Amino acid sequence: MSAIIVLGIVLFILMILIGGKQGLQSFLSLILNFGFLFFAIVLIAFHFPPIIVTIVTGIIVLALTIFLSGTNDSTSGLAFVASILVLFILVLLIIPIENWAQVQGFGLEDSDDLEGLSILIGINFVKIEIATAILSTLGAIAEATMAIASGLDEIKEQHPEIKPSRLLFDGIYVGKQIIGTTLNTLFFGLFGGSLSLFVWFHSLNYSFGDILNDKVFDAQLIVILFSLIGVILTIPITSLVMAEKWRKDNK
Amino acid sequence: MVNLFKKLPIKMILGFLLGGILLITFANHDDFLYQKPIFKVETVRQISITKSKDSFQNTDYNYQQELTGHVINGQYKGKKLSINNSYTMSSAMDHKYLPRQKAFITLHNSSGSATIKDYKRDVPIIFLIYLAIALLCIFLKFSGITAIGSIIINSILFIFAIYLDGFNNGNNVLLIFSALASIFSAVTLFVIIGHNRQMYVTLASTLICTLISIIISLIVFKFTHEKGIFYESMQYVTQPPRPLFLASTIIGSLGAVMDESTDIISSLFALKMERPQISKKQLFLSGRNIGKSIMGPLINVLFFIFMGETLSMTLLFLKNGNSWGYSFSMNMSLGMVQSLISGIGIVLAIPVASALTSLFAKESQK
Repeated sequence: MSAIIVLGIVLFILMILIGGKQGLQSFLSLILNFGFLFFAIVLIAFHFPPIIVTIVTGIIVLALTIFLSGTNDSTSGLAFVASILVLFILVLLIIPIENWAQVQGFGLEDSDDLEGLSILIGINFVKIEIATAILSTLGAIAEATMAIASGLDEIKEQHPEIKPSRLLFDGIYVGKQIIGTTLNTLFFGLFGGSLSLFVWFHSLNYSFGDILNDKVFDAQLIVILFSLIGVILTIPITSLVMAEKWRKDNK
Repeated sequence: MVNLFKKLPIKMILGFLLGGILLITFANHDDFLYQKPIFKVETVRQISITKSKDSFQNTDYNYQQELTGHVINGQYKGKKLSINNSYTMSSAMDHKYLPRQKAFITLHNSSGSATIKDYKRDVPIIFLIYLAIALLCIFLKFSGITAIGSIIINSILFIFAIYLDGFNNGNNVLLIFSALASIFSAVTLFVIIGHNRQMYVTLASTLICTLISIIISLIVFKFTHEKGIFYESMQYVTQPPRPLFLASTIIGSLGAVMDESTDIISSLFALKMERPQISKKQLFLSGRNIGKSIMGPLINVLFFIFMGETLSMTLLFLKNGNSWGYSFSMNMSLGMVQSLISGIGIVLAIPVASALTSLFAKESQK
């Protein structure tokens, strides 16, 4: 049996043992997310417009991740609305910056891997890079909105008479607590992901300027920065969405 | 809504805006810092378009353009050049130049001509880094600054470890990066939580879970003979790939395991403070409840980061007539293994963090 399947089974068993029904749902969301991700790639290969395919996939993935990991449906609904808002703001930021930075496709470091492959495939790689950036931020957006929404939900339950403006303030406070650790998840992900690339830079004596302008590294860095900006935007947006709903409910 | 706008730190935003304009203006004129010759495009003339078709029936277009402009730094500063650039519609490894864009070039002294090497893209990168820092500071004030501090310290440590690895020619890669992982966790948690009991409990939980997840994976690797893991598909490899892969998995999953542990342990410590009478078992169960709801989204964070990277290459494989299975194996299998290993670490953090807290919180009560 392949190692991936065995590792998957180990993860599945652990998630069921520890998370019970919620563990099963989370595992299901992981499998479905993979399915949608792969399906999106296949659609792009069939020349469907990459950015539209990605945005639709993004909305589906956010819905799956948020509704399958949450316990309270009304909170999950608000978290979903907030995450879609963040996604759209990010898309508006990602498209011009990817066009400006031109980190699409492959760099000189990829030459060995490209041997024997035709790179003239007739699909614009700038769009593919935009798709990559959008897809990579989805996990971070979903995680952050869920964390803030469930934190605020807890506060609402404990203090049912809390004012909407106070709830907004509390949301920012919860956000402050999660940002430090989320930042680590993202940057350790970057360090891990670019480890072999950095060993390459070191052995070929790249200068700081070379690294700053290196297509492959910049592509990875940009994705992490977009995720980070997404997480930061999530904090006020989720708090605002929840506070507005709370204001309406209290009227 | 009105309240929110009142609370926005207007002075700080104006300060960051001003700083941003200065920084970007500087970055636009930073050419003198580079040793490599930089060419600034002034006029562009389209020369030709040709249609091409590869053996897999992919249609693409090749364009030729003539760029004229000046060298703007170094010993050839002011030299007028005219360079031919070819680009394609798909632009996988090339780029269509527009007037006022800059590029690194190679000057051929003998003939006086030059070729384009790569686009100069430092300004957008600096802009994006600055934007992220500004947003962190505006929305989170002091917490933002400490978070940035921990990233800077960790980056320095990371570069130091890369140097150390270079000196050893990659012989001790696993050892070096495991040590780095421990130091990373200690430094980060010290910066975020401070020096107290909670920090040590979180550190212990992070290290134990990362270690167990790696041991579990190694056992799985041994029994499956690493079937389905294609180390030869690993990119940018200058050293034996297997230890490098494990090292990058350890570092990559560390942040997420730390994230989960911190969330659980800080909530439990807060709970213990509010209700000192809470029993060991109740504390453990609360930890499990908190952890259960965050584990799914957290596994997804790394999953999308690890898998997103592979999109371009997977697409290229598909368009080169490879089957779905082969394209997956050659590009996505390593990212998948990394996601699964970090997932195992994240899930393990729930019982380990809860158990450690219930044990040590009890002790503090005595």
